[in-house]
Amino acid sequence: MARLIRTEKEVEGRYEEVWIVVEEDALEQWPEGPLRVVGRPATRADGPLRARGEATYTADLRLNGMLHTAVLRSPHAHARVERIDLAPALALPGVHAAIGPDDLDVLVTECGFEGAPVAAVCADTLAQAQAAVAAIDVELTVLEPLLDPDEAVARGALLGEPRVRTRGDAERGLAEADVVVSGEFRTSPVLHNSMETHQAVVQWVGDSVDVYISTQFIWGVREEVAEKLGLPQDKVRVVCDYMGGGFGSKNSPDDHTFIAAELAKRTGRPVKCALTRREEHLAAGNRNATIQRLTVGAKEDGTLTALVGEYVNAVGWGGWSSPVEGPMHLLYTCPNVRSTTHAAKLNAPPMKAFRAPGFVEGTFGLEALLDELASKLGVDPLELRRRNHTEQDPSDDRPFSGKNLLECYRRAEPHWERRHEVRARSTDVVKRGVGMASQIWYGGGGPPSYAWVRVGSDGRATVVTAMQDIGTGTKTAMAQIAAEELGVPLEHVTVSAGDSSRGPYASISAGSSTTPSMGPAVRAAAADARRQIEEIAEQRGDPDMPLADVVALLEDGQILGKGARGPNPAGMQVLTFGVQVAEVAVDVETGEIWVDRVAAVHDVGRVINPLGAASQIEGGIIQGVGHTLSEERLHDPRSGQILTTSFESYRLPTIADVPEIVSELVDVPDRHLTNLGSKGLGEPPIVPTAAAIANAIRDATGADVRRLPISREEMLRALREAEQRQREGERREAPAGV
Amino acid sequence: MKLRQASSVAEAAPASNSLLLAGGTEVVPLLRAGILEADELIDVRAAVPRGIDGRTIGAGTTLAELEASAEVPDALREACRLAASPQLRNTGTLAGNLLQSTRCWYWRLKWPCRLHGGDECFAREGEHREHAVFANDFCASAHPSDVAAALLALDATLETSLRTMPVAELYRVPTEEDRRTTALEPGELLLSVELPEVERSVYLKAMERKRWAFPLVGVAASRSGATTRIALAGVAPVPWLLDEGGLEAATPLPKNAYKLEIATALVKRARAQLDAS
Repeated sequence: MARLIRTEKEVEGRYEEVWIVVEEDALEQWPEGPLRVVGRPATRADGPLRARGEATYTADLRLNGMLHTAVLRSPHAHARVERIDLAPALALPGVHAAIGPDDLDVLVTECGFEGAPVAAVCADTLAQAQAAVAAIDVELTVLEPLLDPDEAVARGALLGEPRVRTRGDAERGLAEADVVVSGEFRTSPVLHNSMETHQAVVQWVGDSVDVYISTQFIWGVREEVAEKLGLPQDKVRVVCDYMGGGFGSKNSPDDHTFIAAELAKRTGRPVKCALTRREEHLAAGNRNATIQRLTVGAKEDGTLTALVGEYVNAVGWGGWSSPVEGPMHLLYTCPNVRSTTHAAKLNAPPMKAFRAPGFVEGTFGLEALLDELASKLGVDPLELRRRNHTEQDPSDDRPFSGKNLLECYRRAEPHWERRHEVRARSTDVVKRGVGMASQIWYGGGGPPSYAWVRVGSDGRATVVTAMQDIGTGTKTAMAQIAAEELGVPLEHVTVSAGDSSRGPYASISAGSSTTPSMGPAVRAAAADARRQIEEIAEQRGDPDMPLADVVALLEDGQILGKGARGPNPAGMQVLTFGVQVAEVAVDVETGEIWVDRVAAVHDVGRVINPLGAASQIEGGIIQGVGHTLSEERLHDPRSGQILTTSFESYRLPTIADVPEIVSELVDVPDRHLTNLGSKGLGEPPIVPTAAAIANAIRDATGADVRRLPISREEMLRALREAEQRQREGERREAPAGV
Repeated sequence: MKLRQASSVAEAAPASNSLLLAGGTEVVPLLRAGILEADELIDVRAAVPRGIDGRTIGAGTTLAELEASAEVPDALREACRLAASPQLRNTGTLAGNLLQSTRCWYWRLKWPCRLHGGDECFAREGEHREHAVFANDFCASAHPSDVAAALLALDATLETSLRTMPVAELYRVPTEEDRRTTALEPGELLLSVELPEVERSVYLKAMERKRWAFPLVGVAASRSGATTRIALAGVAPVPWLLDEGGLEAATPLPKNAYKLEIATALVKRARAQLDAS
């Protein structure tokens, strides 16, 4: 029976209450461990198609009569458009339409960041559109930019009120501490840099609109576009067949989609608006910089008594204040915690969610400072974490639906033990060490999400749901779940996805939520189909009749199953956990860092596809290595203009920068979570990488790095500081054997 | 824009608004960025010698060919191996590498800086962590060529379509009166490089990632009898020959003194490698 229920929904640490319709889902979870299909490695169903270039991405679309768009963007971090004349652009060959701030609200006259969209032109070719944009007559007044996050806080230039979170009494906790350590940590803006830049093709069909878009959320685009255009949602069709990455930056339609929609309306043509790589560096979102002023108090034995954090999120001109303080509140059992998080509004490009937003940055500061504490106390860093382990959400005492962090620690021990051997390979110049950091993050997914399963007389099944596969292998995982439940070979299951007009509502692919949101719905739909097949078998007098024999009777008939994602367990906190152990070498004369090895052990409940899971872990760690060592968006400190607008100056890791990666998953179903017991894995692997590397650097050299990325400059600064400290004898040597 | 193929030095003579092109890995991005403009591109690959003949290297030889040659001194071979990426080295030529422009982000983004004829060095007052620590008073751009530092340490001689000159004379520190960074005349073609005999040579490089980055500091060193020559990449607007003043003579900016720490270590190591038998 369908029920309407009120439930809590979390995406990337942000909670909201939603009404959802759910069907009773009486399915028991499958037994633990690898099954016939689920839990076994499966190669990507669409891998060959992608590798051969046959998969159609939004970037590949060439609709009949399609026009191309170029956007005039503010060249200044802060400027006002005094006057704009589009006529010179309209006079150029190939140009079909031009729009400015008077025509569309996403085009602005108050430019708060370099890259803010001011006007747009569509033409037969991209080159014509770009030439036309260059011809627009625009008069700008350059205004003083606000660039310093602390200054923004002091001046009250904030996006929303400061977020204060407390438990216990932090002052008392510090007073009770035997040891107090403090540190200021900084992280830099880093960019998503998806292979496929942000883009959309919009085509009006009668009074409806088709939106082809590189997106992480088909249904969110549908809702936002409908609202913007004043259309019923069913008049908006959103298509995303194949997608070239998002990492959190493609959760919304964004300016380019609205620009394409307006130009399509004016021209009666399909219009593409695609960001160039340079625009992607300016106006496609970023992980914002943070400043973290942290204090930790502990007893001699390492028991935490207080955690205090003053955080500044350098959000930029827009966006939201990511939960940078989250790890401090969730990771340890400490009774006294207080944090204040400011969201500085700056003349910098707006942030967007980026693979565990806030937690990557917050884990770096917290876990690095905890290692400084461990070093000061002479306590083994892994043991320090164990001593402060928490069995329930320490912020509100809710039980966890499932938590196997101690098991992660146990499995990490062989990697952690290597530190003696690794350190022993140090020379006078190249110091080696091992560091670890814990991971905590969300990833439980939630309702609503729906799927249908169609079984034909040939015994083949199609999973139908209007979800997107953003390149993570979701379609393959869903096929595995359906094949397992139906009892058919994996090759007999096809997944139809990527089109809001061809299937029911599906989850956003953000917040590590696709598998835990969609998977249970797909299993429920397959189970519904299987139940019908079993009922037919029973009516035929042979309850054990194989599926193939039952459906063979159907001729053109079909079995149609439907399934919905049930609610998350009431009163429980659903989180993912893990630990990573990094091995590094540091040249103490030149500041060069080698990350030789990262071992990752994560707990995300049941693993559907171990092969896909290993890829996610590897991808997360590689991206984490980039954020830790080489990636940084730079701006001119006076004007705020962005200096790194290409892959030459914005340095993604190359394969030569990638360490050996050893990954392991606890793979125990979360028995309280859905009919699968699976959580998401998109984000967890990137969370602890920076902290683990920073702690390995400390283990190797005694230097406390305080800033990401750890450039040569930062590494050498930290090394000289450590030498100075050693000379002054401030620091107690860690006992040998720790 | 037209593309013309020149099969001889004479045919490569440029018209008023044409550019010479070999591998294209430098010129094409600069054209795209609007920093260079031309009506005509002249492909000089058939006009410029390519290949290694004893101590003479054709200016059209690719970095990949140099990197793989046992005839080439260690410093040059290593400078090529540590430059760019395999794809770029397969295409980019020796002459193109020597004549590349600075990676100064202000210059690459067409800020009206002194190198572009303006009256300010934005890097000096702005973001200069990767910029020059020597001769940086007028323009703080850093010369990006690993290969140029190697040739400077090797005391190479260049043969152009007009003259013969030591590699050091190819480069000039830009001044208020003359903003050019090389001494080449319009239309002058680099044809070959002549390397004197050296006993040992070495190239060491520090960069912000393991591969495919320009040098924060590159140190080339060569030994011939009692003479040791040391040249640095990435530390001055030109490849920098370390003279008696050594690293002490540097004038680092507020945010790039760390480069001197790296240079100190690499110079020490380079000397040690030359000393090792």
